Amino acid sequence: MKKSKIALLATAAAAIALILGGCGKSSETSNKTAAEKDDGKLMKVTVYDDLANYQGNAKGWFAKMVKDKFNIEMNIVAPNVAGGGSTLFDTRSAAGNLGDIIITGSGNGRAKKLVKAGLISDMTPYLKGMKYIKQYSGATDALQKVAGQTSGVWGVPSSVSASSPTSASEGTEPTFGPYIRWDYYKKIGYPEINNMDDMVSVLKDMQAEARKENPGKKIYALSLFKDWDGNMMNNAKQPTCFYGYDELGFVLAKANGDDYQDITQTNGQYVKALRFFNKAEQAGLVDPESSTQNYDTMYAKYQEGNVLFSFWPWLGQAAFNTTENKEAGKGFMIAPLKNMKIFSYGNTTNGTQTFIAIGSKAKNKQRLVKFINWLYSPEGVAAAGAQTGGTSGPEGLTWKMKDGEPVLTDFGKKVFLEGGANVPAKWGSGKYTDGVSQLNYPAVAPNDINPETKYSYSYTLWPSVLKATKTALDTDWSDHMGGATTTMDYLKKNKKILVAPGASYVTPEESSEISSLRGQIKTQIVNESWKMVFAKNDSEFDSMLTSMQKTVKGLDYASVLKVDMKNAKDQNKERVAIKKEYANK
Amino acid sequence: MQEALNDTQDLKKQKKEKQRAKNRRGIRLFLLIVPFLILVLLFSYYPLFGWVYAFFDYQPPIPLRDSQFVGLKWFAMMVQNKTQLHQIGQVLANTFAMSFLNILTSFLPVLFAIGLNEIRNKHFKNVIQTLTTLPNFISWVLVYSIAFAMFSSSGMVNTLLQNVHWIAEPIKWLDSDAHTWLKMLLWNLWKGLGWGSIMYLAAISGIDPELYEAGRVDGANRLQLIRHITIPALMPTYFVMLMLAISNFLSNGMDQYFVFQNAFNLKHIQVLDLYVYNVGMGNNSLSLATALSMLKSLVSVVLLYVVNLVSKKTRGASII
Repeated sequence: MKKSKIALLATAAAAIALILGGCGKSSETSNKTAAEKDDGKLMKVTVYDDLANYQGNAKGWFAKMVKDKFNIEMNIVAPNVAGGGSTLFDTRSAAGNLGDIIITGSGNGRAKKLVKAGLISDMTPYLKGMKYIKQYSGATDALQKVAGQTSGVWGVPSSVSASSPTSASEGTEPTFGPYIRWDYYKKIGYPEINNMDDMVSVLKDMQAEARKENPGKKIYALSLFKDWDGNMMNNAKQPTCFYGYDELGFVLAKANGDDYQDITQTNGQYVKALRFFNKAEQAGLVDPESSTQNYDTMYAKYQEGNVLFSFWPWLGQAAFNTTENKEAGKGFMIAPLKNMKIFSYGNTTNGTQTFIAIGSKAKNKQRLVKFINWLYSPEGVAAAGAQTGGTSGPEGLTWKMKDGEPVLTDFGKKVFLEGGANVPAKWGSGKYTDGVSQLNYPAVAPNDINPETKYSYSYTLWPSVLKATKTALDTDWSDHMGGATTTMDYLKKNKKILVAPGASYVTPEESSEISSLRGQIKTQIVNESWKMVFAKNDSEFDSMLTSMQKTVKGLDYASVLKVDMKNAKDQNKERVAIKKEYANK
Repeated sequence: MQEALNDTQDLKKQKKEKQRAKNRRGIRLFLLIVPFLILVLLFSYYPLFGWVYAFFDYQPPIPLRDSQFVGLKWFAMMVQNKTQLHQIGQVLANTFAMSFLNILTSFLPVLFAIGLNEIRNKHFKNVIQTLTTLPNFISWVLVYSIAFAMFSSSGMVNTLLQNVHWIAEPIKWLDSDAHTWLKMLLWNLWKGLGWGSIMYLAAISGIDPELYEAGRVDGANRLQLIRHITIPALMPTYFVMLMLAISNFLSNGMDQYFVFQNAFNLKHIQVLDLYVYNVGMGNNSLSLATALSMLKSLVSVVLLYVVNLVSKKTRGASII
């Protein structure tokens, strides 16, 4: 009897304990200051990184470099890998600890919220002797203002640059551009491409040629993916960039401030891009897997040469233009699209929206600040440059100074020009490309001049490399592009580029009412866009467009658009201002 | 006299003792259900506290106590215009339709169990039962990957049909809005049929064999045995299951629809739970999503009253 009673009570107690155990809360927002001492021990640092495409413990030569220098092991938390969206940010920040190091955007009031919620800490007490961070005080001050503070260094913006804001921040290749498989373009006799309509027929011929040459291969001119859809279908925004537009919310703003378009307007650039895709689809040029595949699957198709058109050099060229292919005259090169005026990002003197900060719960903050300072030093920039940014890597491994000029080492040539190599044991292990900084954080613009070498951080702009990379493909392309040496050279000579001055415009916080409306509207726009791409004929396309316009109008599109329009115009004001500011310098 | 007095006192004492024992027993029994009461409080009532988010402008990472109180703003937003209402209407229609289809097909496991029971070859029967029960243990994510491998535009079925030249262009099974409800029902059936029949198989084995013997003596054939003995004996179980299914009318799960959703079929696949998830997590409007999910409780209460009314009218007794 007694025993059972005890057992009963014990069960009840255990049940309660179990239940309550799940409700544990760890809330203690303490703001420790500089006083704490660094224990010097190996430190596991959680990096919350909006830019990273890698999740988990960082590995490879860059991770080894960081460990040797700072005794830090990085564990990267990447929303991109975890399925995108802001779920990870919301849950982690609601729990009160985003990470020890935080790389995220400051737009839409996020910087403000992070400071207000006590998730990031002020670096000021740790800045003694941190000359590289201090060097960019303009950028940190700008961030302070965005965060709604009057003092403090709350983070350091990315891609800061010392070059002119009106010159292109990209190196030899722009960010966007109509890249086509030059070898097939050659085979069909270099037809003229006056506009995107011509592009469809050119691609059709190229696809027919490619399929003839490779029977049994599933070759499509276009292959799309949905991973990066946001306010609109990401892929459909890209052709608008060929004409000088870039997105801001539901607005396409021209780089020079001449034009602002609502993306749903019937003859706007965005709808035109959708129409281009749909025409291609009707001509049988669009990969039927487009709506279900992800970026990786699509990337593999580019690597195998099964796709003939790329919106970005860093997709088509990165995947397919290996030295071997280029020597054989194969590869993606920019098409001579007659009426294009490619959007280019100007150098951002005060950095971009993305910034790096220190979490308020982090230990050994001094060491973390030192690490960030290093990321902004010439050595750090060269080593950590973004994955696709093409910085030169560490001196001594991939490059060295020769006669006062940086040149690639044999290892560097293998890595950058010949498709990769394994890192020597001294530097760690594994493939070089697997070991690059998984932070994917461009602290300084890669085309900026490295003060120690007097040449750019990006090896692609070094005279020695430009000379070495002339292949059959480059020569043939150059011959048909009026002797241009690089894509940038061609675009600049022919005035086919439109640089948006590199203002550090940050979108202000929008009311949550507008964001919920935006959320519902963008779902409609993205889904309808995909349906429109796969419409069976023009009349179906048109009726879908009308129904989309009607639906978003019903969801109070007008009030969201008003906000975006205002932001776009404010952004242009800042662009004009930074242009003036730099001119007066 | 004295004795009598003593007796009554004794009686009183006894009574008291009895009463105390009864109380003690009551407490003991109460203690037995305490853990479950706590569970109910914690998991059914405590979450209701979360409704408070619907009245604030909650934006993580700003804690709730610093968020702005907005009253009924989010509720007003749900009904502020026709398109919005139309969307919610469509979501409810999807939820009701798919739940209804599931209930409509709830007799299939019964038939399946009966059929299975009629198989004489024990090995064959076991194989069938195992094969049909297995899908229940596969998560929807894996079911989708099976579906993708088979039915995507470069999947097995399309490749096969193309190779035998029955079709020229791949058929879009997954990324089209044709017959979405029906497709979802079929997937659900494929996954749940075997599992759903287990209960009925158990019920069948509980039927008194004498009934069958008597039937056979009376000259009934196999179909007649099923018609007049098996099915009537299964009905009580079936109705219990049906009631349970109806009580889950609105919670028809979201993982199935979540994995199968895409730009093309979203209009007809978005059930209430999925809609709340998409608004809250996908579009980052947690407060609005909370307000929306309260809609579910509201509809449930309305449904309950309707069912109760029907029960009162037809059986003369209410359920609650």
